[in-house]
Amino acid sequence: MYGGDEVSAIVIDLGSHTCKAGYAGEDAPKAVFPSAVGSVDQMEVDNPDNPEDNSGFAPDSKSKGKRKLYVGSQALGFRRDHMEVISPIKDGMVVDWDIVENIWDHAFRECLLIDPKEHPMLLAEPCSNTQQQREKSAEIMFEKYQVPALFLAKNAVLTSFASGRATSLVVDSGGGLTTVAPVHDGYVLQKAVATSPIGGEILTDCLIKSLEQKGITIKPRYSFKRKEIRPGEFQIVDLDFPDTTDSYKLYCQRAIASDIKECVSRAPDTPYDDSSYSNIPTTSYELPDGQTIEVGADRFKIPDIIFNPSLVQTIPGMESFAETAASLRGLPQMVIESINKCDVDIRRELFSSILLAGGTASMQQLKERLEKDLLEESPQAARVKVLASGNATERRFSVWIGGSILASLGSFQQMWFSKSEYEEHGASYVQRKCP
Amino acid sequence: MANAASGMSVVDECKLKFLELKSKRNYRFIVFKIEDQEVVVEKLGSPAENYDDFVNSLPADECRYAVFDFDFITTENCQKSKIFFIAWSPDTSKVRMKMVYASSKDRFKRELDGIQVELQATDPSEMSFDIIKSRAI
Repeated sequence: MYGGDEVSAIVIDLGSHTCKAGYAGEDAPKAVFPSAVGSVDQMEVDNPDNPEDNSGFAPDSKSKGKRKLYVGSQALGFRRDHMEVISPIKDGMVVDWDIVENIWDHAFRECLLIDPKEHPMLLAEPCSNTQQQREKSAEIMFEKYQVPALFLAKNAVLTSFASGRATSLVVDSGGGLTTVAPVHDGYVLQKAVATSPIGGEILTDCLIKSLEQKGITIKPRYSFKRKEIRPGEFQIVDLDFPDTTDSYKLYCQRAIASDIKECVSRAPDTPYDDSSYSNIPTTSYELPDGQTIEVGADRFKIPDIIFNPSLVQTIPGMESFAETAASLRGLPQMVIESINKCDVDIRRELFSSILLAGGTASMQQLKERLEKDLLEESPQAARVKVLASGNATERRFSVWIGGSILASLGSFQQMWFSKSEYEEHGASYVQRKCP
Repeated sequence: MANAASGMSVVDECKLKFLELKSKRNYRFIVFKIEDQEVVVEKLGSPAENYDDFVNSLPADECRYAVFDFDFITTENCQKSKIFFIAWSPDTSKVRMKMVYASSKDRFKRELDGIQVELQATDPSEMSFDIIKSRAI
């Protein structure tokens, strides 16, 4: 039992796209930064960085490959020669713990300015996290950071609880992954969890390719200078950095494209087809370099990929993903399949409490479209209800908010996996304490 | 124990009153609330009260747990009763309250032995009299 009511706990939700970190009890995470990090091989770099842009940098002495990692939006926003952008998470699983440690370091020391020794730590984890992954998290937290107490809570459970339901079907569509997870009385029904790689990043990539096909290239912010030659009149000067890596260029293009996506796109009311959307009015968007682009059918086509993944095949340049896409199911099918894998007795309840969470699920009209598609395909007796918090912050950060409230409850203090328990029983005890 | 359970405790009175409702049948319903990290009895309904009285005793923008003893007549003309457990968590209540009630529900429900039907409701339509009737049969 851990009895530290006075110090507030730290809540971290490390997603495939963004890391959310903050103090328990607050309404929103204090720090939100990309989960991707910049990496420069030390062999190639001989000039030290300017001292002023070291803000987000984390020294990385243990790394075998002698690389230097740059964590945080600020550190990534600064272009460096030969800097690759890499992500520690693939298909929802951590593949590079070294990067994760750097991300945690960044969150503790640069964003929250705390000493992890003094704060209990609540980590949100994906529903299908393996035992090894959980034990590894516990090991690093207790051994490296010496945290006084730890808790691992499942994403879907936190979302479900934060909306006041102990039983629900959580549809979490984030950056790299969409997960459909049934929760019953606070337990995730593991066998019925469905995942798909269609997330915000795929949609962003499709948008980039689709715009390229129309002759629009998104210029990364670092590749030009915008000068005001006369009031209100700008001149664009292209800059050339031959040593910029492709992954960094793509990272910057994605940042812009994802903003276009969030601004103009909305899920179509009916399945997308080229002919009926060819005359759709366009919406304009001003790129950072001042050129204004018109987005027409893509506004609807891109979001429809969530419902019909095979649409990816019609976008040139996405061939690498097209094969996978052909075997993927659309979101409504995933929901129905997942519910059908659950016990008959709870199906009705799941149909009537489908919760949307995550950044991609906040897309305009997505809730209405999903509800409509489900109504058509669900059994007659089922009462379909798709719910999403009206508050955009709550929807985007529902996992973090759930963790924040839980960790701040006085009664929760007895639930922590404490340091002394770790020392007595070892890392595998995490399975008992945080089932 | 469910993942991410809150660790809330339950006052003995809750269990005792529930037992009375179940065996002596001297209450129509009981409304529970969470106060100072404990589940306590908030309101007791006399056997003469009906479903509308019960619904009116749930606050519109705060979460509650409730137990309702539902009397009905089956299609075979048989007098029966079923005990409903209702987790009331209106959409308009605060996130914090929803989280507290949802994460404590599993633990609390285990204390009440003899619940026959369970319902979670987020607006009055999800616990309308028709739904109660259809779930009872």
